[in-house]
Amino acid sequence: MPDFVWSSQSPLKKALVPGRHGAGKAAPGVSLSHVSDIALVQVMTRRGRNADVAKAAKKLFGAEPPAALKISSGKVVTLVWSGPDQFLAFSELPQTAPSVEQQEQAFAGSASLSNQSDGRCQIRISGPNARDALAKMTSLDLHDTVFPVGSAATTSIDHTAVNFWREADDASGNPVYVALVFTSFSDTLWHLFVESSLEYGVEVAAIGAGH
Amino acid sequence: MEGSTRTVAGQSHRLGAGGQIDRNAPLNFSFDGKEMTGFAGDTLASALVANGVRLVGRSFKYHRPRGILTAGPEEPNALVELRTGARREANTRATTSELYDGLVAQSQNRWPSLRHDFMSVNQLASPIFVAGFYYKTFMWPAKFWEALYEPAIRRAAGLGKTAGIADPDHYDKAWAHCDVLVVGGGATGLAAALSAGRAGARVILCDDDSRLGGRLQSDGGVIDGVDALQWVQSAVAELSSLPNVRIMTRTAVFGVYDSGDFGALERVNDHVPQPPEHQVRQRLWRIAAKRSVVGAGAIERPIVFPGNDRPAVMMASAVRTYVNRFAALPGKRIALFVNNDDGWSTVDAIRRAGVEVAAVIDPRGKPATGDYSGIRVIQGVVADVGGSVDGVSSITVAGAGGNQKIDADCLAMSGGWNPNLALSCFHRGKPEWRDDIAAFVPANAPAGMTMAGAANGDLSLGACLRTGHAAGAMAAAEAGAKGKSGNAAKASDEAFSIKPLWHVQVKGKAFVDFQHDVTASDVKLAQREGYESVEHLKRYTTLGMATDQGKTSNVTGLAIMADAVGRSIADTGTTVYRPPYAPVAIGALAGHNRDENFHATRLTPSHHWAAERGAVFVDTGLWKRAQWFPLPGETDWLQSVTREVLAVRNGVGFCDVSTLGKVDVRGADAGTFLDRVYINAFSALGVGKARYGLMLREDGIVMDDGTTSRLAEDHYFMTTTTAKAGPVMQHLEFCRQVLWPELDVQLSSATDQWAQFSIAGPRTRDLLQALVDPSEDMSNEGFPFMGVRTVKLRGGMEARLFRISFSGEMAFEIAVPARYGEAMARNLMIAGEPFGVTPYGTEALGVMRIEKGHVAGPELNGTTTAGDLGLGKMASKKKDFIGRVLSQREALTAPDRQVVVGIRPVDKTRRLRSGAHIVPKGAVPGPETDQGYVTSVCFSPTQNQWLGLGLVSHGAERHGEIVKAHDPLRNETYDVELCSPVFYDPEGVRQRA
Repeated sequence: MPDFVWSSQSPLKKALVPGRHGAGKAAPGVSLSHVSDIALVQVMTRRGRNADVAKAAKKLFGAEPPAALKISSGKVVTLVWSGPDQFLAFSELPQTAPSVEQQEQAFAGSASLSNQSDGRCQIRISGPNARDALAKMTSLDLHDTVFPVGSAATTSIDHTAVNFWREADDASGNPVYVALVFTSFSDTLWHLFVESSLEYGVEVAAIGAGH
Repeated sequence: MEGSTRTVAGQSHRLGAGGQIDRNAPLNFSFDGKEMTGFAGDTLASALVANGVRLVGRSFKYHRPRGILTAGPEEPNALVELRTGARREANTRATTSELYDGLVAQSQNRWPSLRHDFMSVNQLASPIFVAGFYYKTFMWPAKFWEALYEPAIRRAAGLGKTAGIADPDHYDKAWAHCDVLVVGGGATGLAAALSAGRAGARVILCDDDSRLGGRLQSDGGVIDGVDALQWVQSAVAELSSLPNVRIMTRTAVFGVYDSGDFGALERVNDHVPQPPEHQVRQRLWRIAAKRSVVGAGAIERPIVFPGNDRPAVMMASAVRTYVNRFAALPGKRIALFVNNDDGWSTVDAIRRAGVEVAAVIDPRGKPATGDYSGIRVIQGVVADVGGSVDGVSSITVAGAGGNQKIDADCLAMSGGWNPNLALSCFHRGKPEWRDDIAAFVPANAPAGMTMAGAANGDLSLGACLRTGHAAGAMAAAEAGAKGKSGNAAKASDEAFSIKPLWHVQVKGKAFVDFQHDVTASDVKLAQREGYESVEHLKRYTTLGMATDQGKTSNVTGLAIMADAVGRSIADTGTTVYRPPYAPVAIGALAGHNRDENFHATRLTPSHHWAAERGAVFVDTGLWKRAQWFPLPGETDWLQSVTREVLAVRNGVGFCDVSTLGKVDVRGADAGTFLDRVYINAFSALGVGKARYGLMLREDGIVMDDGTTSRLAEDHYFMTTTTAKAGPVMQHLEFCRQVLWPELDVQLSSATDQWAQFSIAGPRTRDLLQALVDPSEDMSNEGFPFMGVRTVKLRGGMEARLFRISFSGEMAFEIAVPARYGEAMARNLMIAGEPFGVTPYGTEALGVMRIEKGHVAGPELNGTTTAGDLGLGKMASKKKDFIGRVLSQREALTAPDRQVVVGIRPVDKTRRLRSGAHIVPKGAVPGPETDQGYVTSVCFSPTQNQWLGLGLVSHGAERHGEIVKAHDPLRNETYDVELCSPVFYDPEGVRQRA
């Protein structure tokens, strides 16, 4: 019998070229990164079971389900509001995050789960010019007063649906945003992210397997 | 620069001092091949003025010599072709083009040269080029239109030529957000931005110019006791220090749209030869503003008199701009023709530049205030302008004492000011007439917009500062800002008085619309011929329809019309204002979305693997799908596709079907939900089973089809067609959220989560045996047709396996998480190697589904019912479902409906074509005899002939009948046989094997 190897493949295998791109040689205006191995489960509350879901989430993730247009941070999992009565349980550390089976168990009867770990592709954008680059892609107002750290939105980029949120600022005090895009669109959208950033200088990094 | 007439070497009309130009930064440029020099800070127009160039272009219709009329974006005359090669841009306004080193400009609409223009003979024929010329001249004979008239008109029409090759530059689009958008960076706009910014509002200040200050840069003045330019400097410094204020120069706000969204065009790199690497040429902004203050200023209007279009007849405000801002002299003996006090301020500018004021002609005589000692003042009007192609040399003045001729090389005119109110009218606001300033002022601006300063008819500097400050403060407060706005800057309110003078009614060609060559007599002719409404006037004469959109001509034109009709201007009204206010390049509107980025694309999980194998891709919606996989030596698509089909039919092949829509349907009521969505029942489907489902639209027409499996009691996995994945998801969400909110159902799109492959052919089971863990029972009993379950694969992987078939062969679909999609493709090649496994594309998929008589997109075309597709029996009679009631309408159940049928040419060597119409044998093809058409065709390797599916009236009862296929596009008519749509394995033995 032949050997079958099941290698994981990032959808950005071709599109993502690590390194410094675009204008200038100094510190880049934008940093772009992609983590290929994410854990992502869409948690959809069953009719009238919000209290049970809140309880289970708190117990499993150490975080309450997020309020509308917010994220809620647990130990290794970030809960991202994705619509009325639903959120995404997102982690970049699938080994330490609760497994899908554990989540199924914890939410049995109170929520329907859909594993989207392969259905979405994560793109992180940060840096002093991150907002300038994003202004070319999203109609969201990303001003500190409107979209502070912890904000989330379901929105669109280049007419495709995107989950988008703001994490804590980086060490230099620059904003950090995460976009989850549909995997099949990730190649085309990655190019858009890079091209929107080139004029500011952009540092690109790939994290995880499959590149 | 007081009194300095010393000029700069090589620039015959440049003052030796003064102006906001950088004399240490000379810039070389060329106009019509002649090398010249200007300075940083110049526009192309000001550099031409400084070089003594007066003739700049030829007019549109009569090819009359034209010069520079204005110094701003309203310019109708000085339009040039800027740059060369792929970057050549026609109709570029010299007055707004910033000079850069190496700039190359060409004049337009002339041949062989600007000075000797052949087409200027049009002037001799000018009596026939009057209003409505095209309508009157090119009517008969009708057949001449396409062959003769239109090509001739097209050759003569338009100014300048496009590059004709793709624009090498990039453009993009961006969003910006603010509390208060301030349009215009002159006195009013600066005051508004300061008061709103100080109060803490988020402010965006846009100005079309490269630097802020508006007319203060040209007219100066005293603000808060200091020189106006100094005040501008400190205002800009203060604004720049406020983190909540964003200044956007070179940015023209061209439109206002719903809910306070504005369109603006930033000319990011129009002022350099070509954009630096990674930068765009222009950027289109969508600015979302809670409130807006429009301080867009006013546009000075010309007076209509014979010769008013001769080069060096210029707006008085433009003369001041060239002299004061650019230290460039439009003439050395300048006459003035004005009807208002503001025009008189030009006297001072001319005197200070040290050149002569030939005379001031004002029908009102000398104004009450001001020192005009030593100035020749004539109470009268200009009746003619003498000169050559190089412009003015004399002026004929008609006054109380008859006509007199005055030597002058430039005539500055001012007929008053039109507030720049376009933005206030883009939501159908109608402006109001104000007699005291003889101008229209804004009346009902869109919600949230405040007009201020000269744009609102407040023409004095003091009023601009006051109203700008107040509007900014109010807008900030309304947007929620709590801070203090400080005090308004102060300046005097200079007196303004005007006596309207639109048209000097003497004989001679007197222009209203310079760019479209519309004269006063054209307006009057339109009136005589019954086109009295301003909207008719506009279209009949083309007044205001050129690229300048009548910024210098519309009001004057309607005033002349009002006079001809004997109505007031207020009663005559304006035409409808529509965006864009300024020209916007299509490239800017497209932004990033051109060429391969025209729209976002979707890649399948096996895309890169397929590309590696040389697959030919096809766009299906947004997806790129492998269409076929050519092998070395294959020269024709049909060769490759036929090989792929035979490989599947005789062995095994696989195809990436990840593009099919996939929806997780969960919840206690998931089964009930699907029963209502599909025409057939799903609540009774056993766990581990798949079923083909058909869903209707509300109107009873088929919406989509697909296979849906039950993975658990409360978990179904739906598939949709590739094309309808999005619309079906929307439909399901609508049903869930709006129609039946009481049901416990949760939906999630899983299309991108799974890499799914169809494996088909008699050796499928052999391939799978090699791939799955030995513990899995893959026998027909262990994994029956329409069975579904999760299986273990060798090498430590789990997959969902569905035993479903689209090809008619024994087939499975296998699904793994998308990240393993490429590994799956490679492993299928390994597992199937002993059986000659063959990857196949969408063409082979299509051939096999046609051979098997499965309907797809061409049959599910938005007009067919379940019955039409031969699937009427699927509809459950025991339950209600969407579309049930309306599917019973008479027309949808009529016996003569066109239904799916198989079609094969009687001549087996003939190629069948999609779209061919079916008519009875012996009938003359036509609408009366038409019975349907061919929807899908393929060359069938198993039947060894072309065959197809069609929608034909009474088709199900006519199997065996010979009819005609008529293809008017290819001019073909041939016999075909109607037959069962299932050409291959009609008993379905193979797929159940």
